[in-house]
Amino acid sequence: MQSSLSLSLSSSSSSITPKPNHTFDFSPCLTKPLNLNLRFCGLRREALSLSTTHPRVKLPCRRFPSCISAALSTNGSSPKTFDYDLLVIGAGVGGHGAALHAVEKGLKTAIIEGDVMGGTCVNRGCVPSKALLAVSGRMRELQNEQHLKSFGIQVGAANYDRQGVADHANNLASKIRGNLTNSLKALGVDILTGFGTILGPQKVQFGKDNIVTAKDIIIATGSVPFVPKGIEVDGKTVITSDHALKLETVPDWIAIVGSGYIGLEFSDVYTALGSEVTFIEALDQLMPGFDPEISKLAQRVLINPRKIDYHTGVFATKITPARDGKPVTIELTDAKTKKPKDTLEVDTALIATGRAPYTQGLGLENINVVTQRGFVPVDERMRVVDANGKLVPNLYCIGDANGKMMLAHAASAQGISVVEQVSGKDHILNHLSIPAACFTHPEISMVGLTEPQAREKAEKEGFEVSVAKTSFKANSKALAENEAEGLAKLIYRPDNGEILGVHIFGLHAADLIHEASNAIAMGTSLQDLKFTVHAHPTLSEVIDELYKAAKVNAHVSSPVKEPVAV
Amino acid sequence: MASLAKLPLINSKSSTISFSSSTSLQWRPSTALPLKSRRKPSKVSAKIREIFMPALSSTMTEGKIVSWSKSEGDLLRRGESVVVVESDKADMDVETFYDGILAAIVVPEGESAPVGAPIGILAESEEELSEAKAKASQSSKPETKTEPAPSVIPEEVVVDRSAPVDGGRKGIATPYAKKLAKQHKVELGSITGTGPFGRITPEDVEKAAGIVKPKSVEVAPAAAPMPAVKANGGGGGGGNFAEIEGSSVVPFTAMQAAVANNMMESLSVPTFRVGYPVLTDALDALYDKVKKKGVTMTALLAKATAMALVQHPVLNSTCKDGKSFTYNSSINIAVAVAINGGLITPVLQDADKLDLYLLSKKWKELVEKARAKQLQPQEYNSGTFTLSNLGMFGVDRFDAILPPGQGAIMAVGASKPTVVADADGFFSVKNEMLVNVTADHRIIYGAELAAFLQTFSDIIQNPDNLTM
Repeated sequence: MQSSLSLSLSSSSSSITPKPNHTFDFSPCLTKPLNLNLRFCGLRREALSLSTTHPRVKLPCRRFPSCISAALSTNGSSPKTFDYDLLVIGAGVGGHGAALHAVEKGLKTAIIEGDVMGGTCVNRGCVPSKALLAVSGRMRELQNEQHLKSFGIQVGAANYDRQGVADHANNLASKIRGNLTNSLKALGVDILTGFGTILGPQKVQFGKDNIVTAKDIIIATGSVPFVPKGIEVDGKTVITSDHALKLETVPDWIAIVGSGYIGLEFSDVYTALGSEVTFIEALDQLMPGFDPEISKLAQRVLINPRKIDYHTGVFATKITPARDGKPVTIELTDAKTKKPKDTLEVDTALIATGRAPYTQGLGLENINVVTQRGFVPVDERMRVVDANGKLVPNLYCIGDANGKMMLAHAASAQGISVVEQVSGKDHILNHLSIPAACFTHPEISMVGLTEPQAREKAEKEGFEVSVAKTSFKANSKALAENEAEGLAKLIYRPDNGEILGVHIFGLHAADLIHEASNAIAMGTSLQDLKFTVHAHPTLSEVIDELYKAAKVNAHVSSPVKEPVAV
Repeated sequence: MASLAKLPLINSKSSTISFSSSTSLQWRPSTALPLKSRRKPSKVSAKIREIFMPALSSTMTEGKIVSWSKSEGDLLRRGESVVVVESDKADMDVETFYDGILAAIVVPEGESAPVGAPIGILAESEEELSEAKAKASQSSKPETKTEPAPSVIPEEVVVDRSAPVDGGRKGIATPYAKKLAKQHKVELGSITGTGPFGRITPEDVEKAAGIVKPKSVEVAPAAAPMPAVKANGGGGGGGNFAEIEGSSVVPFTAMQAAVANNMMESLSVPTFRVGYPVLTDALDALYDKVKKKGVTMTALLAKATAMALVQHPVLNSTCKDGKSFTYNSSINIAVAVAINGGLITPVLQDADKLDLYLLSKKWKELVEKARAKQLQPQEYNSGTFTLSNLGMFGVDRFDAILPPGQGAIMAVGASKPTVVADADGFFSVKNEMLVNVTADHRIIYGAELAAFLQTFSDIIQNPDNLTM
């Protein structure tokens, strides 16, 4: 109701005026404390502090119109005329998501891009890497003689053309970039080309000397590959994901520094294309970001049987590119003792040690904001916090630049959350409902807490944690595909049936996770999810079994069942 | 955890047997049983048992201790889980066969030990505890294994073509080479690397391990002549031929690759050849008659061969394992056909049972399908005997290579007017065709092959049976 109201209103008034009067357009809200409104939007509060009362309790509140804080729109500057309602700096997936939602909300929106439209994800990240992984998946299948034989399929020796593979990745990126640009143009979002710098409150310079003003500004400048010191990137033999995605060479032996998502996906690509891989991981375990049980199984399937070895607990302190007839040399230093441990010689080194925020030259000093390791400090509503710990009015930062959760879809979700706020509806994003996926073969996906995180939180807050697991081996569809290697794991509270985390390793895990992430986002409890129906035979039955395997204490009745009028 | 592996334990009567001897005992679950019964008599006073790393799967060579479910000094009951071991396949709870006290943990959590190595010490009672601990301190020294560190190559071994480095450098081996070395128990230090920058490649390790590894090339696409076989194809062949400038390299098509692989494969079969002249006047006369009805020479020859094979089943057999005859239940005549720069062998199945006309019809279908690349695998890989005919080119005799999986192949030359002398010394001119059979001598001997040829010749010279 509220959104439709604001939409019709702004489309009728084409003049751009600040709208402190916005509030008057809505029916007067009930005088309720802000945090109550929050729950009533069906949202959770802070990422790690799940509210103890069930959000669904407040459901009946939906009858009442929403409440808008007038302070939000009048905060800071005096009323004046702006060029735009919303200005987004950076046209990556985060900025794109924010701009689209802003248009839906009837805001006059512009987006500034100093490089190529689409940002990292579309041009140098998720999108082209999926193209390479699509090739690697097929190569794997065609090279796996036993696998094919078990299907009764006979195929000649599979081979690939490197340039063809590289072209596929490049073409995909151009296509998605085109789609993204067109969608913005079609909706009437102004695309301003040039490097954006914040000059002061609500004022941004782009290009050489173009200055625009906007009521609200979102920083969405993203990130660049992080290269630790001591490592010399030449773009040929010592490379980052930016270079690797162009697939200019397929080396015989490549060292991958870092075994997170990026490193893991590239190991999948390179081994499928015939390279041998050496992982260098600073922590004691490979794949440190994943649930330990998942990473252990993943190691058994994705690392051990492949042409991969690894060094854990070591830093690559010095990497010299290949030159003068010498290979790439990598000096390894023990992470604990800080003593030199080993020297490796490889053909190529891929630096996949994470990503660093791209916030330099943004003019943050003009508004007294000091970055932390490059990240723009924000509060839970993505509002930028200045050096004195005060909120900077009308300025938000989303995506990799704030470092909360460095995922394209997280940036977009944060952008939508910000637009909700600037269009008058408070909103806090529950980061625990944001899924993540790693597109190896098979895939890994997760949402919420890992088991150790859940246990730690349970200890602190005094509740019980249970774990349910199902295997892909029992799934008819997975067996039909001859891809029965896999595990799904549910971490939940047996007392109230709340899902704390879901982790999947197996065929199409990345697509399967959303059922769980939506359940978390909606606050659906397991006692209700147990009654959901999944088509047979599908992989989604893995999740169905998870839900059914969960043992929620029966005497706790679901608060959802009986809506209580308040 | 899924399955509980039994923990093999070994008796060592510490009072009488020295510690070192106990480790040399065979540990086997089967030996554990008699030992268990021996344990009942109360005569044996002191008992210390070693807990060994069990083999949890057939491929497991070493295991990693995930966690000890019990700590030192804990009381153990038979059937209780003591330790969680991670193998190459899974984590498994390992339980004990015996009651006792976990005296010492030899291999701590997170470390690995080879299968059969002691990982802990079990004492039967309090009294043996100290003794067991002493034992533990002995056995803890060796055996425990962690990450395989690249071993150092002796200086003289380092012969580095591309990057001369000052002596005594590390034996750099690629990840897969290391895996292979571990698998085949090859000391990396003993290998001279031939890869770029003198690194040890997987091929180097295989060579050192004495493995002539057939490059696994997948064969038999939609139109490959023979059943899928692995062979020494691919990058094997000579890299040292002089390169002539301007020469172009055309990679094999899938069919050509399959042929190449089959040809390499055939080298492992001991073959011999027997030739035979066959007079074909009668056959030619018959052919002239039935040609109108759509009968082809190929069908005639296939039918004649099949009829001869009925009488000589060994010629239709296969040697699959080098140890036995496999007599094929049906007679399927494969006929070699040159097609699009390749070679394929459509098969006339049950050629002995079908009549000439059906065979001819079938043959036409097969050729059509082969041309359209629509042959199903069983239509080109189910042959039990092969016919190859180069007679239409005027070839008078040739020698065929025996395709893998078959006992014999017959090479048929052209039928030509030849001056023949009969037993009475009369000369006459007859049409004569030379056939030459290549056979696997493991299963087919000269006399048998000769007898078959004689039968074949008789059928050809009295071909009326062919039309029946």
